[in-house]
Amino acid sequence: MADLGRAALVVTFGLAVYSLVVGGIAARRNERRLAASARNALYCSFASTLVAAAVLATALVRHDFSFRYVAAHTNRHLPTAYALSAFWGGQEGSLLLWLLVLTGYGALAVAINRRLLRDLTAWVVPVIGGIATFFSFVLVAVASPFDTQTAPFDGAGLTPSLQNPYMVAHPPMLYLGYVGLSVPFAFAAGALLSGRTDERWIVATRRWTLAAWTFLGIGQLLGAHWAYVEVGWGGYYAWDPVENAALMPWLAATAFLHSVMVQERKGMLKVWNMVLVALAFELSVFGTFLTRSGVVNSIHSFAKSSIGPWFLAFVVISSVFSLALIMWRLPLLKAKTKLESALSREAAFLYNNLLLVALCLTILWGVLFPIVTQLVKGETRTIGRPYYDFFLRTFGLPLLLLMGIGPLVAWRKSSLRGLTRMLAWPIAAAAVTGIVLVVVGAGSSRPGLIAYTFSAFVLTTIAVELVRGTRATGSLFTLVARNRRRYGGYVVHASVVLLAIGIAGSSAYSSSVERRLALGQSMTVAGYTLTNRGVTVDRKPNVTETRAHLDVTGPWRGSLSSGDNQYVNPPEPSREVGIHTDWLRGEDLYVIVDESHAKTGVVFVQVLVKPLINLIWVAGIVFLFGSMVALWPDAREQRRLVARLAPVVP
Amino acid sequence: MPTRSPARLVVALAVAGVLAIFLLYTAVAGHSTPTLTPSEIQGKSGKLQVVGTVVGTLHGDSHGASGLQFQLVDPQGHGGKRVDVVYRGSAPPPLFKVGRSVVVSGTYAHGRLQGNDIVTKCPSKYTSAN
Repeated sequence: MADLGRAALVVTFGLAVYSLVVGGIAARRNERRLAASARNALYCSFASTLVAAAVLATALVRHDFSFRYVAAHTNRHLPTAYALSAFWGGQEGSLLLWLLVLTGYGALAVAINRRLLRDLTAWVVPVIGGIATFFSFVLVAVASPFDTQTAPFDGAGLTPSLQNPYMVAHPPMLYLGYVGLSVPFAFAAGALLSGRTDERWIVATRRWTLAAWTFLGIGQLLGAHWAYVEVGWGGYYAWDPVENAALMPWLAATAFLHSVMVQERKGMLKVWNMVLVALAFELSVFGTFLTRSGVVNSIHSFAKSSIGPWFLAFVVISSVFSLALIMWRLPLLKAKTKLESALSREAAFLYNNLLLVALCLTILWGVLFPIVTQLVKGETRTIGRPYYDFFLRTFGLPLLLLMGIGPLVAWRKSSLRGLTRMLAWPIAAAAVTGIVLVVVGAGSSRPGLIAYTFSAFVLTTIAVELVRGTRATGSLFTLVARNRRRYGGYVVHASVVLLAIGIAGSSAYSSSVERRLALGQSMTVAGYTLTNRGVTVDRKPNVTETRAHLDVTGPWRGSLSSGDNQYVNPPEPSREVGIHTDWLRGEDLYVIVDESHAKTGVVFVQVLVKPLINLIWVAGIVFLFGSMVALWPDAREQRRLVARLAPVVP
Repeated sequence: MPTRSPARLVVALAVAGVLAIFLLYTAVAGHSTPTLTPSEIQGKSGKLQVVGTVVGTLHGDSHGASGLQFQLVDPQGHGGKRVDVVYRGSAPPPLFKVGRSVVVSGTYAHGRLQGNDIVTKCPSKYTSAN
């Protein structure tokens, strides 16, 4: 069966090279039949990759340990869902998933647009073919998931902390996001290569970008929630290079999603949009390089595998290719209009873009800092949390404010007086929120106070816009249906506000106490009293569960247990935390038992009270809903686009 | 023909300003910490991070007066320079054990690292647990 997988990957490689070379020749010579042949090769590359993926999935489900990959990442005890999740749990499998998603996305995007944008898609095929050539080459020649061995009796298994539903969904979500950014990149490159640098490539890829961005956002939130409930340190984001690797392309894509509106409406920022889409794509590949090269230290232990240099070479080559293309086509990328006022919608988008890109580059600098200092000073230096927190506040708070101002500013030009009048309610809401917070004693954290007043400002802006629009159209449903992109965007803005409130509340106003408790002894944290009721040890066939039991009184009465699990196969421990979520008070009581002694009943406990942290997870649901509204097919919009694009289609 | 847009100037100035701010910040505020392997630590002192593999035997506990004592060697190293670590604070992460790759933060003086934070590398993707 491994031979079939290997053969399928070789076929994919051949087809990808064919779409790259023949597709390039066909597009250059404008030969339609040859272009159709290259396109068909791209479709077939998806089919052959699907065969390879099916072979690996089957081997995982059947516990076929003659596959080195299956033996390294699963064992006989692993439930089927987790055995399947090992598909993306290892390097070779995750690269195969990347290739599968890439060829699938590529084939679908080309099939959908091949008639309306024939000249452009002729160039998109070789670009996607080029990316697929790289990934299939790596899978065939450098990191094959189909290496075989004499089958051992059992496999090494999957780390217990990864046997979690969030870990089943988190990686594929990220891949759907990372790889999804290849589609707008390929269309942008296609637009430059074909010389069709009008707005058609943006319109054609808008939903692809939005979908990729949504997957990337949801994927990160799932990872954060996994860290919170499973890793057991009370946090959800550690500014680790691997986490940052997903955040950076998301920020670049966020900037792109905003700036394309300026190009669509005003014909401006054409170069900037090309740069942004290339940046988002390159950062997604760079993130993959980062997680597999071992070039930076991370809490995730990644082997210094042989694929690092290949990825670095690909990032360098594709970056040079993108920049050269943009430089070559600069004369075609001139703006149709100019920025007339610093107080206009387009200017607000520009400020938003600058802040997002600044935050993205700042994070990139933090990730690269150890490499730079090693090269310059011969000593690796690492930047810690204070650096990232400082810049999150510096760029994040103005971004939050802009979310409230931007939607109310008119295109082309706005008057300060008119804008102030429109912002009267949001300003009043922000002022009242700030005063109330200070009065109730929540003014101790200045960034927290600013975040909350800005959040009130943005939420009121959204509410004012919805009320005003509903009055004009007669119904909220009609209002949203008429411009799903805009109002879906507002819902996403609301989710970002919830996220900001959650982050500010859980970081600026959290309480933490760590104490040694003898049997029957109590401790008090933020009004909660926790009493040690003893330690139990439960021995099961594959795991020994040690739990400390704590009675809780105060705002909530009940009991929480926390401790650790020690597994037999694989012989790994996992920390088990106790969490009580109080939705009415809007806070989590989070108990971590560091050490517990069954004989004496003595435990070391860390108790955290984290206000509003659950708004972060609620924000994820709202974010998904807003994205779905913006993504939902819109027949009216489609008719407008066809009418607009038809005259330029040859 | 449209005249030259001031947007470019705004972009250029803003990007340059941002670059200047964060370069200055990282250079002046000095929030960076040297991150060394046991073989690189010779002659160093002060606050730093050591990346290494836990070897030998674990003595004591992190809450006790003498702390949790262990040694680190270079990652993937099976010999060479060893660094003595005395760690005090919250219990180390559950995955902490002999043979595991860790990052220990603390103060290095007189050939010993007084650790105050341990990060155990997550044996997640793309490599084996160790």
